[in-house]
Amino acid sequence: MSTSVSSRTFLPERDTRQRLIKWIVALLVPVMVFTIWSGESIINAVISPGTASGNVPTDFPSLVQAAIFTAIFYVAVIALAGYLVAADSGRRGMLELWVDVLVFALVPLVLVIFFGLIIGLALCAIVWPVYFLIRNQVRKALNYTAPSPLEGLKLLDAEQRVLVMERAIAGGFWFGLAFAVVSLIVDLVFFISGSLTTTLLIWAIVRTILLPIAGYFLGRLSGWIALRRTLPARDSSNGNSQSSTNGIGNGRSKRRRLEVLSTSRAKEEVKDLVPNDLPLRSAGAQRFYLIILVAFVLFYPLIDPFLFGFGTDGRLAGYGDAGYYVILALGLNIVVGFAGLLDLGYVAFFAIGSYAWGILGSTQLTNVLNLAPVNPHLLSWLFWPMLLGGALIAAFWGVLLGAPTLRLRGDYLAIVTLGFGEIVPIVFLELDKYSNGPNGIVGVQSPAFFGLQWSVITPTPYYYLILALIAITIFANFRLRDSRLGRAWIAIREDEIAASSSGINLVNTKLFAFGAGAFFSGIAGAYHAAKLGGVSPDNFNFTDSVVFLAMVVIGGIGSIPGVIVGALSVYAVNLFILAQLDTLAADPTNFMFTVKNSIIHVIPGFTFGNIRNLVFGIILVVIMIFRPEGLIPSARRRRELRHAEDEGPGGDVLDVVPGAPGFETEVRVE
Amino acid sequence: MSAKPVGLVGEPVEPVSSALLDLSKVTKHFGGLAAVQDVDLQVNPTEIVSIIGPNGAGKTTVFNLITGIYRATSGDVRLEGRSLVGLSPDQVVKRGITRTFQNIRLFNNMTVLENVLVGLHTQLKANVLGSLFHTPAVLREEIDARKRAIDLLSFFGSELVVRQEEYVINLSYAEKRRVEIARALAAKPKLLLLDEPTAGMNEAETLEAVKYVRRLRDELGLTILLIEHKLAVTMGISDRIAVLDYGRKIAEGLPEEVRRDERVIEAYLGKPSTRGEIAQVDEKATE
Repeated sequence: MSTSVSSRTFLPERDTRQRLIKWIVALLVPVMVFTIWSGESIINAVISPGTASGNVPTDFPSLVQAAIFTAIFYVAVIALAGYLVAADSGRRGMLELWVDVLVFALVPLVLVIFFGLIIGLALCAIVWPVYFLIRNQVRKALNYTAPSPLEGLKLLDAEQRVLVMERAIAGGFWFGLAFAVVSLIVDLVFFISGSLTTTLLIWAIVRTILLPIAGYFLGRLSGWIALRRTLPARDSSNGNSQSSTNGIGNGRSKRRRLEVLSTSRAKEEVKDLVPNDLPLRSAGAQRFYLIILVAFVLFYPLIDPFLFGFGTDGRLAGYGDAGYYVILALGLNIVVGFAGLLDLGYVAFFAIGSYAWGILGSTQLTNVLNLAPVNPHLLSWLFWPMLLGGALIAAFWGVLLGAPTLRLRGDYLAIVTLGFGEIVPIVFLELDKYSNGPNGIVGVQSPAFFGLQWSVITPTPYYYLILALIAITIFANFRLRDSRLGRAWIAIREDEIAASSSGINLVNTKLFAFGAGAFFSGIAGAYHAAKLGGVSPDNFNFTDSVVFLAMVVIGGIGSIPGVIVGALSVYAVNLFILAQLDTLAADPTNFMFTVKNSIIHVIPGFTFGNIRNLVFGIILVVIMIFRPEGLIPSARRRRELRHAEDEGPGGDVLDVVPGAPGFETEVRVE
Repeated sequence: MSAKPVGLVGEPVEPVSSALLDLSKVTKHFGGLAAVQDVDLQVNPTEIVSIIGPNGAGKTTVFNLITGIYRATSGDVRLEGRSLVGLSPDQVVKRGITRTFQNIRLFNNMTVLENVLVGLHTQLKANVLGSLFHTPAVLREEIDARKRAIDLLSFFGSELVVRQEEYVINLSYAEKRRVEIARALAAKPKLLLLDEPTAGMNEAETLEAVKYVRRLRDELGLTILLIEHKLAVTMGISDRIAVLDYGRKIAEGLPEEVRRDERVIEAYLGKPSTRGEIAQVDEKATE
């Protein structure tokens, strides 16, 4: 669709004009704030290192990295704000959209700048739900009802489609131009006041030219997106090759699908088809987040120095730890989330996996058996088969320990698994000869790989190892969930009697769930032992089992993305932020220092370490009250809870016999 | 009465080789309570047999005894001459008996299609490794399973096929019943046990249900044992009727015979005044 920019294009119609103003303001503000506040300082630091603070490296590769990072960061911020605008149905008021953009794009920026990435994002996680809560209350007070999603479903003929595209291009162009001019003026002010070098001024001028061009193409893109979200009029699409591009075919088949679906289902489908007032939750948005996220995670070791400047290795090591919690949570999710078997002793299998590599990957086994020690280099290579071996050993014990619990359900099952969780670590503690008892095992080999250094000082290989392991775990989880076995697990969770009356062998299926769950904790255990370079029986407590379970429940039982988020957020809050509050409070320049001092006035001898579990507990309670289905619930689970709450009366109506009133009672023999 | 009576009625059936399902002296005690006492029942191939009786007569208990949910205290349950006693429910399914439940037990948070796919569980062979690596055999099997599931749903017309992606909790009561039957059919049973297939349905839906129960036998060649509260329905579709009261079989025979059996009438049909109405509804149901 090659549309030239005509004079008509530059004069949008009145209804469109208002919408454009709304969107441009929404887009411009966050970008400006980012540019002035932190983005510029990063570019400054890279382009003219003399004026920069910190120890940012200045060699050529670093410059490339810096450029990549800056581009990614810019794109992420623009895209976030842009997506909010693009996906907005246009039916919301200006103020509402602006407030949304403010909260979702600006607040994180400001928080990250002030508190650093991790704490900033964690604070966002607190700010956003509070915002939602307030917004809902305000809406309720104003009797606001969200427009039906179907309302926005428009039929456009070929001419109208061209017009939409033209407007979108115009919008993009104007936006780019306005953005460029405003930025240029700001930079000129800085230049005149002397705080901007000439090199940066050249960059600013180049940007002034580039931005409108980029705006033009971004406008085309948004036009394309907008067209995807409408339906072509039936007649015009016949033999009209020009308008049959741009995913129109997709729209048509979707429409046909909508026609045959019931209203309740159609409403869910249509959410992703037409713009709605929950743009951040649409399928398109989620795909977008995913791409950004994967890119970010993959390049993180390169980006980190520019985010924080120093201490990269320490943080990477920390993320390596967070990673095995993700694997553990995903494994437990199979048992608890898919098959619905409450397991309070999951730490047992983690311990088994750890000791599997701990005993074999150190001199422990050869010492016990009075053999000559294996060449450490060779032993390191054994890590890879033992990753699978440890997992299989754990799975074996998972099946073995699962067997006695098969006839138990609910609370009773939980108690018995709790017992196993206690027994296994104690066995390792008392099994002096093999496990070295309370001293644990030291000198466990790290893995070996061509040309890589594995040690505590160089955590990057571990970071990528755990990424790979997580990727494998996620892949396996999805495949298992969508398989014959996964269906059987979910069926058992829903209704054991119906499942077994459909031919599902309860014993085998449950044992498979225990085995699969234990398998992944075995992987996590082997990794844990290798990374730590040792195994200690203190690492496997009942509280760990509870933390794993909290990760699953908070993330969303049965939801794979939810559990990943749950694992990371519980790790971040419980083991990272809460554990470090005292360290932060020791620094007089930090905000927490003031907080701690003001509390100490009331409670003498106060430390954050003392109330860590209290704070964690309060967070758990609050989450369970306000979001019982978890952070990212699975579709099933969300439906279940929603139906339990809202549709009680609806269900009753269905139960009432709709036919002749007396029919039932007359015919029934009772 | 359009259904033709098959089976030999009333005669004491000693080891009848032709009987598909054979219950002999089946007894189930819960503590001191005899829920089912010395029940004998034969179901011949392609027969529709109903079990009726007042609430608490032990009808559903008989179903649970056949399908392995309960284990009989004494007596024997045989399918094609092989005993089912001591088998778990899933083993009974593999032998060729599936069932539906009185208060529909679908997997509410799964879609219509997924429910039937669970029913196909015994027909699929995919193991864990195959599912993980999506071997060609597993992929083909999954595709075939979906086709088969849609075939099964289309037994009840196009309505369920269209709504295959829908979560069953959104379906109407009658539709849920159909999905439950489709799920039971998926395991390729020889004998289908229907526990009150028309419970909670209005008149039109009941007539529809009666029709498809007949079609299950006529088109798919299934043998059907059903529990039914609506006498009209039972009279209309059954080849034979067995009457339970207080866990004992008090009568068995052709619908006409059972209807006139004084013991049955006295035991629980109660007041003679209702009989006329029953006859009326009966005519409607058998139209």
